[in-house]
Amino acid sequence: MIIITLQRPKCIGCNYCVELAPAQFQMSKKDGKAVLLHSVEKKGFHTIKLADENILEATLKASEACPTKIISVKQT
Amino acid sequence: MTKDGKIELMAPAGNFESLQAALDNGCDSVYFGVEQLNMRARASINFEMNDLPEISRRCKEKGVRTYLTLNTIIYDHDLTIIKTLLQKAKEADITAVIAMDQAVIMVARSLGIEVHISTQINITNIETAKFYAMFADTIVLSRELSLRQVKKIYEQIVKDQIKGPSGNLIEIEIFGHGALCMAVSGKCYMSLHAFNSSANRGACKQNCRKPYKVIDQETGFEMEIDNEYIMSPQDLCTIDFLDKIKDAGVKVLKLEGRGRAPEYVAKVVKCYREAIDSLEDGTYSKEKVNDWMNELEKVYNRGFWSGYYLGQKLGAWSDGPGSQATQKKVYIAKGMHFYPKAMIGEFKMEAYDLKVGDTILITGPTTGAQELIVEEMFVNDQKGEKAQKGDLITIKFPFRIRPSDKLYKIVENS
Repeated sequence: MIIITLQRPKCIGCNYCVELAPAQFQMSKKDGKAVLLHSVEKKGFHTIKLADENILEATLKASEACPTKIISVKQT
Repeated sequence: MTKDGKIELMAPAGNFESLQAALDNGCDSVYFGVEQLNMRARASINFEMNDLPEISRRCKEKGVRTYLTLNTIIYDHDLTIIKTLLQKAKEADITAVIAMDQAVIMVARSLGIEVHISTQINITNIETAKFYAMFADTIVLSRELSLRQVKKIYEQIVKDQIKGPSGNLIEIEIFGHGALCMAVSGKCYMSLHAFNSSANRGACKQNCRKPYKVIDQETGFEMEIDNEYIMSPQDLCTIDFLDKIKDAGVKVLKLEGRGRAPEYVAKVVKCYREAIDSLEDGTYSKEKVNDWMNELEKVYNRGFWSGYYLGQKLGAWSDGPGSQATQKKVYIAKGMHFYPKAMIGEFKMEAYDLKVGDTILITGPTTGAQELIVEEMFVNDQKGEKAQKGDLITIKFPFRIRPSDKLYKIVENS
């Protein structure tokens, strides 16, 4: 199981996560920040649990590339 | 330019503490970022959209102009938030927007918002100034111009009567004090290259401020460089040649430092306020400049140089990784209560100690940054000379204290 978290309020809209993991991230045309697709929001943290382990590599790349370090990816 | 023809003093505001410090110390205008699309995009030194009316209210009370910085590079996914932000700025009656991207300039003009051209556009000649005068009333010139070049542009503006949308001659703004970087007008790739963290999206990691060695890859020979900080210029300071700046036709002097602490904003605004006023009343002197320099050295600085204004060929590089400030603040107590009739403030000591005679700094979102010397205090309801962690202290203040305030002790930097 992969757990991805995005601390969205701190996003500066650089677009890197979308470039590296387009299946999980999109840029919002409303406020210019990244959207973690299908995630659930709680106090500014957007989280999703996914069973597909194939997404690990791309999401880890997105997490590493994020300039504000607001994407966390955990494998359980 | 202010209504009475003085150089306009523009202060940075990264939060309400700094905004209040700027207002209390006599700025003519403030610039600030809201949300992510400005050159200090990190959330901790930015306002939120809902803060715009309060910023506007506080500034209007003092007749201070308000400038929203919206000066990063812009992607397609930013276009809606730009429109929303500018619409909110218009509703809050913000004076102008500082823009770099043509999309921002277009939206602002379509809403009838005054536009100032950011230094990121790198205006270095009169023809470019003429071009942007179609959209903007103030242009921030490139940081790399000499005052001789600035003056030539100014003289041509007057000669050719180059006017902005307001119908007035366009005004020249320059950077007056604070950090400079090695990149031309801030257009740097270094942070993006090393950390994916783009300076041009307001996320500079400042890796130029570190020491580097230059190594010949073929031979492994390390170049000997007197100063290791070869990419980190000293901070700009112009207080000692403000007369030349005025003579060059500069109308707006911008202080850098949206990421700096409120006491930094307070100190720098106060010094430049006094300097600009003394230029006008004919009391600008070497002695005064020395006093201001001593004051400016107390807060964050990497050592000072005059930038490129006086025509130096090479930059002056800093000789350390961080600040060379002669003073620093140490957090010691939090605000508890204020007794308005007696003007007594109560604080809870949370660290270190405090003695009568110490200089203290109080900061808070409404209080700003206020400095004073402790002449008398009560410790746990008894008159005392010294307080320690855990004590409740009360001090008489010439201003109001709030529970959101923090109390620091100012100490000399060893």
